[in-house]
Amino acid sequence: MDISISSPLTGTAIGLAEVPDPVFAGRMVGPGAAVDPARKLQTAVAPIAGRLVKLKPHAFVVQSEDGRGILVHLGIDTVNLDGEGFELVATEGDQLRAGQPVVTWNPADVEAGGLSPVSPVIALDAEAAAIDAIADGTVVAGDELFHWRSRRAKDSAGPAAGAAGGTGKTKD
Amino acid sequence: MPERTVTVASSVGLHARPAAVFVKKAKELPVPVTLAKEGGKPVSAKSMLQVMSLDVQHGDEVTVAAEGEGADVAVDELAGLLESDLDA
Repeated sequence: MDISISSPLTGTAIGLAEVPDPVFAGRMVGPGAAVDPARKLQTAVAPIAGRLVKLKPHAFVVQSEDGRGILVHLGIDTVNLDGEGFELVATEGDQLRAGQPVVTWNPADVEAGGLSPVSPVIALDAEAAAIDAIADGTVVAGDELFHWRSRRAKDSAGPAAGAAGGTGKTKD
Repeated sequence: MPERTVTVASSVGLHARPAAVFVKKAKELPVPVTLAKEGGKPVSAKSMLQVMSLDVQHGDEVTVAAEGEGADVAVDELAGLLESDLDA
């Protein structure tokens, strides 16, 4: 099943290559996109429905029912802020709807503190090729940011494996 | 099964950057490798999702374990990474 990843923030959708951090820009954490957030107090929302498996002030991970995890990282090097300026709205372990509020912060304050508020949204453990339809330009929190296509790991065995059962029912 | 327990040196713990470096190295290894916090359940060292969810902090003691041919080398390489400050 393909899943649609919503923008957690309001701002401008940009490619990961534009993120001012080589680890995110080089997709070492994973493929995805980023949001250059509007410089105003705003609340980051869940990019997908699922469980809030990890919640830090500056970053969180939501895991879908089928096991896929999305990391939202609010700003670059913001771990060094020790939570200052971030107000947690949700609680780790919560079951969230897509679009449900998670953390309130002000990207303008982060920027004033000398850090980039650009926020990567990462498909953890995804193949780069599984990500498409990446948004470009203005986004409002909850708008689609990109698509994550299903892994179809079982298909990698090739058509022959699937054909073994005849003309077959596909389980998908 | 070779395993080693080390103290995590990265100043911010095993978060985005250090976790990415660690998982990238783990994925290059030809054997299954796991990471566990003291008393916790081992997770795959090759999964960003699992490693980040483990929430390893600076100074935490973690155990790296591997299985199969080359497991000793794998454990040494990953333990070495954990003992250096990957955020520096």
